[in-house]
Amino acid sequence: MARLGTARWCVTVLLLLVLSIALVGCSSASSSSTGSGSSGSSGSPIKVGAILSLTGPYAALGASEKNALELEVKRINDAGGLGGSQIEVIIEDDATDEAKAVAAATKLIEQDKVVAILGATGTGQSMAVRTVINRAGVPQISMAGGNAITGTFDPLVFQTPWPNSIIVPFVLKKMATDGHTKIAVLSDSSGYGKDGLAIITADAPKNGMTIVANEVFKPGDTDYSAQLTKVKNSGADAILLWTAGKEGAAIVKQAESLGLKLPMYGGSGQAKIEFPKGAGTAAEGFVFGTGKSLVPANWGAGTDEFKVVDDFATRYQAAYGAAPDIFAGHAFDALNIFADSVKRSGGDTSAAKLRDAIEQTSGLVGFGGKFTFSSSDHNGLAEKDLSLYKIVNGTWVPIQ
Amino acid sequence: MSALLQFLIAGLKNGAIYSLVALGFTIVYAATGAINFAQGEFFMLGGMLGVLLVNLGLPLPIALLLAVVGTAAIGALFEVLAIRPIADGDPLRIIMVTIGGSVLLRQIALHIFGPDEVPLPPFTQGTSIKVLGAAIELQTVWIWVLTAIAMVGLFLLYRRTAFGRAMRATAINREAARLVGIDTRFMVTASFALAAGLGAVAGLAVAPLTQTAFDVGAGIGVKGFSAAILGGLGNPVAAVGGGLILGMMESLTAGYINPLYKDAVALVVLLAVLFVRPQGLFGGSGREKV
Repeated sequence: MARLGTARWCVTVLLLLVLSIALVGCSSASSSSTGSGSSGSSGSPIKVGAILSLTGPYAALGASEKNALELEVKRINDAGGLGGSQIEVIIEDDATDEAKAVAAATKLIEQDKVVAILGATGTGQSMAVRTVINRAGVPQISMAGGNAITGTFDPLVFQTPWPNSIIVPFVLKKMATDGHTKIAVLSDSSGYGKDGLAIITADAPKNGMTIVANEVFKPGDTDYSAQLTKVKNSGADAILLWTAGKEGAAIVKQAESLGLKLPMYGGSGQAKIEFPKGAGTAAEGFVFGTGKSLVPANWGAGTDEFKVVDDFATRYQAAYGAAPDIFAGHAFDALNIFADSVKRSGGDTSAAKLRDAIEQTSGLVGFGGKFTFSSSDHNGLAEKDLSLYKIVNGTWVPIQ
Repeated sequence: MSALLQFLIAGLKNGAIYSLVALGFTIVYAATGAINFAQGEFFMLGGMLGVLLVNLGLPLPIALLLAVVGTAAIGALFEVLAIRPIADGDPLRIIMVTIGGSVLLRQIALHIFGPDEVPLPPFTQGTSIKVLGAAIELQTVWIWVLTAIAMVGLFLLYRRTAFGRAMRATAINREAARLVGIDTRFMVTASFALAAGLGAVAGLAVAPLTQTAFDVGAGIGVKGFSAAILGGLGNPVAAVGGGLILGMMESLTAGYINPLYKDAVALVVLLAVLFVRPQGLFGGSGREKV
């Protein structure tokens, strides 16, 4: 039997291995379509594309979003659709990868001829598809919380979550109120982490806090000893974790086992049940800021927001046996803003008309809060829509 | 000082995991002359099966054992179905088949287990051991013990048992081994089962620290393969040495340079070593396998 043992051969195999990972990634991208039942529809369905991270570090987020989209599409179609037309949502998995998000956007626009793009799940992916969106002139409603998405303004791009620009100062204020002056920041090197870090470094001094350790990790990393050791030796009195990926749970867990007993804070990235579930007791006492709707009662019974969020939560619970997390809520908002706009445009889904209709969204009560867009603000949410939570006994409870 | 110690502990922890995966590459390489690209998927399958069995209510030790045995069985089945038909063929063809196999295993895992990360309880509950200001997680101690057992066990298996000698004979010359009555086909199947079982051990040992998911195999496959060729393919002790050095390089890079560069630095060192010593750091002349 021939045995090859040269360096060149090993290098070739190594490259092959790296290539195979890329290929495997591609092969895991899949698409599914929901809606467009033939029942009672007149005319062809309105096609909407959704780019979700169903696999990779944001898999938990994408799964909730997919659930919410399917639930809402069914509700709208069962009620007769939009002006007699059924909605069909075509879902593409971007595997939490920017290049695959671009490929998905291209496919949705070129092949499926969608009239709008919902997504992506992540900030990096949402920003990456912008060139495709612009070339086609198709409006995009992102479900990611990076500030850049609407902060770096694009007339075609809208955003449903509370962006970093309002959540970061909100959480920093809480840290300052709790008496912290020297903080350590742990963020991931993806779009969302970088986006948050920029605001953290700008805003911490305004709250009287110095960043004594600024550590970054890569999505997909599994060991954080280096970062956590540096945090431990920095003299920090609290940690701010800014990431939306699954790494959050492992980091909190490792911090505990390395004997790092500092109060920890975070943002929307920790508002998913996988975080306390994965981190176990290590997550106890973790404080994070995100939207009020994570616990609908925050709005106060009888308010418009409570009615909308509670109705969605009840239907979601009935369909999937679990309460919706905020990511499900962001998808709910994206689809409903789209549906509301189509109604107001009188069913005209041509790109320019649809974009204008979305921009004219006014007072639409959703999961994130009351959405009112303008020609300079494509998010419309504010600090009043936020609330603080603490992890207690493996779940979150609202705190002041 | 305590920081350096913590970096070294992290390096030895990750290195031990790379070693276990590298051992799997080594075993299959010894028996077939080919690289088994599906090795990372056995790592993934071990962890996912373990979580599945624990969630079914089995006690942890039994779940762990069944996960290892189950993964070894999948490894054997994979060999019988996919490799045996081309067993006497070119190692490059075997490599291609294992690449395809890895994609298949991952997609099956995605459909069975779903896309979410899942946690596994630690093997031993308790707080970390404190040494000179550094902390060692109990799970890390487990990883080291398991790696040591695997290395010594493999060494003894190859050197001291008839089964191991038969495997070595198959590796050195398959025709001659067959002529003296060794079932060489079975030996190749056994090598896949053994490699898969070791991969599963690694996957289970890591899962309590990091959680696991259907897509963890590819990344660890690259690390394990890098460790195997860094140390020298085909030798269990070299595989472990390569794994520990790789883990240490990554940890020190993350600690003293930048965590974002650790993969790149490790890869550069690997290529540099191969340029100077193509047979790996601890590899022999390349004649004697295992």
